[in-house]
Order: sequence, then structure tokens, then C-alpha cells
Amino acid sequence: MSEATEAEHRPLIDATGDSRRPTGLLLVGIPVLLMAWLVVWPIINAIVRTIWRPDQTGDYGLDFSSYGFFFSDGYSLANLSITLWTTGVCALFLLVICLPIALYLRFAQGPLPGFVQALAIFPMFVPSIILAYAFIRVLGPNGMVDIILNSVGLPKIRTPYLTPWGPVIGLVWDNIPLTVLILLSGLGSVANQAIEAARDVGANRLQVFWHIIMPRISNSILVALSFSILGIFSAFTLPYLLGPAAPEMMGPFMQRTFREVNDPLNAMTQAVITFGFCIAFGLFYVRSVARNQRK
Amino acid sequence: MAVTITARPRIDGLGITFTLLLSLAIIFPLLVVGTWAFTEIWRYPNVVPQQFGLRFWEQTLTRPDVWGALTLSLQLSTVVTLLSAAICLPAAYAFARMSFPARTVLFFSFLAGHAFPKFGLLIAIAAIFLQLNLIGTFWGVVLIQLVGTLLFMIWIPVAAFQAVDRRMEEAARDVGASPLRVFWSITLPQAGPTIAAAVLLTFVGTFYETEGAWLIGAPAIRTMPVLMISFINNQMVIQYGAVLSVMLWVPSFVALMFARRVIGGGAFARGFGG
Repeated sequence: MSEATEAEHRPLIDATGDSRRPTGLLLVGIPVLLMAWLVVWPIINAIVRTIWRPDQTGDYGLDFSSYGFFFSDGYSLANLSITLWTTGVCALFLLVICLPIALYLRFAQGPLPGFVQALAIFPMFVPSIILAYAFIRVLGPNGMVDIILNSVGLPKIRTPYLTPWGPVIGLVWDNIPLTVLILLSGLGSVANQAIEAARDVGANRLQVFWHIIMPRISNSILVALSFSILGIFSAFTLPYLLGPAAPEMMGPFMQRTFREVNDPLNAMTQAVITFGFCIAFGLFYVRSVARNQRK
Repeated sequence: MAVTITARPRIDGLGITFTLLLSLAIIFPLLVVGTWAFTEIWRYPNVVPQQFGLRFWEQTLTRPDVWGALTLSLQLSTVVTLLSAAICLPAAYAFARMSFPARTVLFFSFLAGHAFPKFGLLIAIAAIFLQLNLIGTFWGVVLIQLVGTLLFMIWIPVAAFQAVDRRMEEAARDVGASPLRVFWSITLPQAGPTIAAAVLLTFVGTFYETEGAWLIGAPAIRTMPVLMISFINNQMVIQYGAVLSVMLWVPSFVALMFARRVIGGGAFARGFGG
């Protein structure tokens, strides 16, 4: 964020007041302990229990065999690669769809932008389970799209339901609101004067976008993508309901390993592997949020 | 870019395009679901249903599994929201107003849960619940949903408490009001609406929470979204899912109305790192 919006940002918390009076510690104690018990401890527990395991004689030692199995098992690798593919395609689509919407909302005037913004934010208030149901009724076999195509004499579509494109469409739909909001918040730091100045010296729209707007919002783009990637990489509901049975994304794969195959060790191994793939995005995202709150 | 001043109103072509495309992609699918909920007969090649009616509302609402799931979901959401408010609101007040050791570090520690892919974290928690025999229990689901509410229920109220005018509080203290009286008469009325929005969002978010309930609760704990999953997967009657969708969407709509004030200010996007 830069000079244009800094004035309205009050720090949520400032680091200057930390002192030795512990009354506050008692008040924040329970949620902090809950976080430690149900977020920090499970992660440490999952990492330790998957690498520090008993061998045949019962002696504990370093053992990477569950990771070795994952990375040599064809099915696990297929699941990992479909997850990476879905995440990449979704990130690309989100950028291509949301950036124009955000640019429009930032620079347009008149009555329509408010309406477009309401539409773009709307999916936030549609639970993904209802989205999955709507998807099947519209794009599924004999769905609404087929009905309309049939009525004008066109052939049916090849339905994306139960193909890798099913989760892609659902996850993009689900992630549009926050991506638009984060990009729009980043565009708030682009001052109108900077754009007018560039236009005055003869820059066209593309040049203004590339040289004036892009440098200011590249960080917001990274934040928006990090947030979406964290959500999409381990998404469960939409891939489970809309995606193919095999290969499956990591979310349904972990769930099946844990509940149906009843194999917590390999489920934890898969969880730790998803942590590994997302750690860079997670740290970047958290760092950006923390930095914004401090401002 | 509309930085130039136009003398006469132009036609906002781009805006119309976005409106049409977004309506088609976002509103149209939901209208189809809404239509199905009030349809009695709709065979494939027909563009509109052959017969409208409320028959499937009656059938859905008299199913015992629907009532069971609805009651359970409301119970779960109420318990989780009350617990969350009871532990988070005092903590939010402390973060906003008191100084104590490690305040900043603890405040940002609530972000930890957001640095990891959510379902991976749920699996790691489930592995611990397995040892504690919490899988398939009401309180197991309560705990996993409670963790998901902490960040919002602390950060939004912290912002609310900090937005209260300190000078008014000090003035009240100067004329002899007790700290409790100041909190009750000055602080709470100003911070109240934002806190109420946070509580409402927590309730609705918990009501729709699917992944924790499915992973930890199933098959014994069947919430509304979990029931919807089984309707989508195994139920031949299309209308049951449509009726449930319309019913489920009502609390979401209420939240939409209330949350506009929280989301409107851009504070929301900032909370997500924008």
C-alpha cells in the first residue's frame, strides 16, 4: 500500500505497548492454547510421526519409507500431478477473469460498477455444497445447458462433470470474490494522478497498465494467488463431488486414505507433502497479511 | 479508463459485458436450482418444467434425516459460536486495550492456521483426534469447527474495540463512571454492531462448514452439508437437493445483508492480505 491509502490505515496492533502486566495474558490464554493444541501441535505431530517410526524390533528411528512409497507409487504421483495441474489452471483462470473485473471496478464510473461488484462478490455467500449441486444441474448430463442446446438443435456438450475440468470450474467460481477484493484493494494504491500524468505524455492504455499499474499491484496479485493456491491445493468438497474418481486431488485422496483405507500414517504423509508444496505460498501470504495489519 | 471527463453520458459497454457474463455464470445456475425446487415434473428435452408445485417441499421436510441434520447443525453452530464468543471476545478486548508480554507475537499467531492448506491441517488434527477417540463425536466436530472461527472472531472485534473513541471513555471515567459502566455504556454500544456481524458470520460459516464435519463427524454426526453430500451422491430424486439448497441458502442471505457493512469498508480484503 502506498501514500494514497495510508492515511485511512490504522494499525490493528502496535508493538510499542508490550509490557510486564500479565492480566491480558489470562484473557488471551484459552484461544492461544487452543491454537497451539489444534494447529501447531498437529503439524509437529504429523511431521514427527511420519519420519520417527518404530522398526520391526520396536526401536524408534528415522524412517522415510512412507515418503519413499508416496514418491514411487504411480497412483499417488498421478494424484499429486492432477492436483498441481488443477491448482495451476485455476490460478491462471482466476487471474485472467479477476484482473479485468478489478481494473474495471477501479476505474469505471456510473451506476454499473456497483452492480458488477455485487455480482462478483456474490459467490462468497453461496456455500460450495450448493455450488456443486447447481453445477451438476447446469453442466451435468442432461443439464440446463444441454436442454438449451437441444432446443436450438445443437448437439449436447461433453459434460465437465466427473472430469478434471469439473473441480477447475467450481474452484474458480468459488475463489472469484476474494481474488477480486484483494486485487481491488491493491488497485486502491494506484493514484489517479500517476495515470493522468502518463496519459498526458502520450502513453496508451496498455502502456499505462504495464508501466504504471502492474508495478503497484504485483504484490496484491501474488497475495491473491497465494491465498487461492492454499485453498485450491487441498480443496476437498468440490473435487470430491465434481471431479473424477481416479486420479483424485490430494483433498479427497487424503480423506479416503484416512477414513476408508484407515491408514492414518500414509494420510499424514500426504498431508505433510501438501504442506511442503504450499509452504512458500503460506509463508508469503501470512507475511503480507501481518505486514498490512501493522501499517 | 474513465479519468477523462465526458460531457454526455457514454454507454458503459464493458460494464454491460461484465454484467451479462457474470449474471450468466453466477446468477443463472442458482436460478436453475431455484426452479428445480418448485418443480414437480421436468423431463429432459423440455425447456421449462411440465408441472410446478410444492410437493417435494412437503416430502423433503417430512424426512426424518433432514430434521435430524437440521437440528444437529443448529445445535453445533450455536455451541461453536457461543464458545467462540466466550473465549475470543475477552481475548480481543485484551489485544485491543491491554499490554502484556508477547502481545504482538500472540496476536499474529492466529494466522498460523492460514499458512497451511486447510484440508492437510484437518488430516493432521484428525490423526490426533483418532488417538483421543474424538472421531465421530459431537465434541470432536465442535473442536475442529471452533479452531476455524478463532482468527475472525479475534481480529474483527479487535478492530471494533480499537475504533471506539477513547476520549469518550476517558470523559466518562473523569465524571466518575466505573470501568464496567464505561465498558457497558460507551465501549459496547460503539463496538457492538461490528462484533454482532462477526458473531453472525461465525454462526453462518459454522453452519455451512463441510470438510471438518465430514472428516471428523461422519457417519455418526450428520450435519446439513454432510446430508447434502449424500443427496448429491446417492439420491435419485433431484428435487430433494434443490429444496435443501434453497432452504440452506436462507441463512446465507441473512448474513449477506448484515455483512455488507463489514465487507464494504475494504477492511475485509485487508484482513485477507489485500
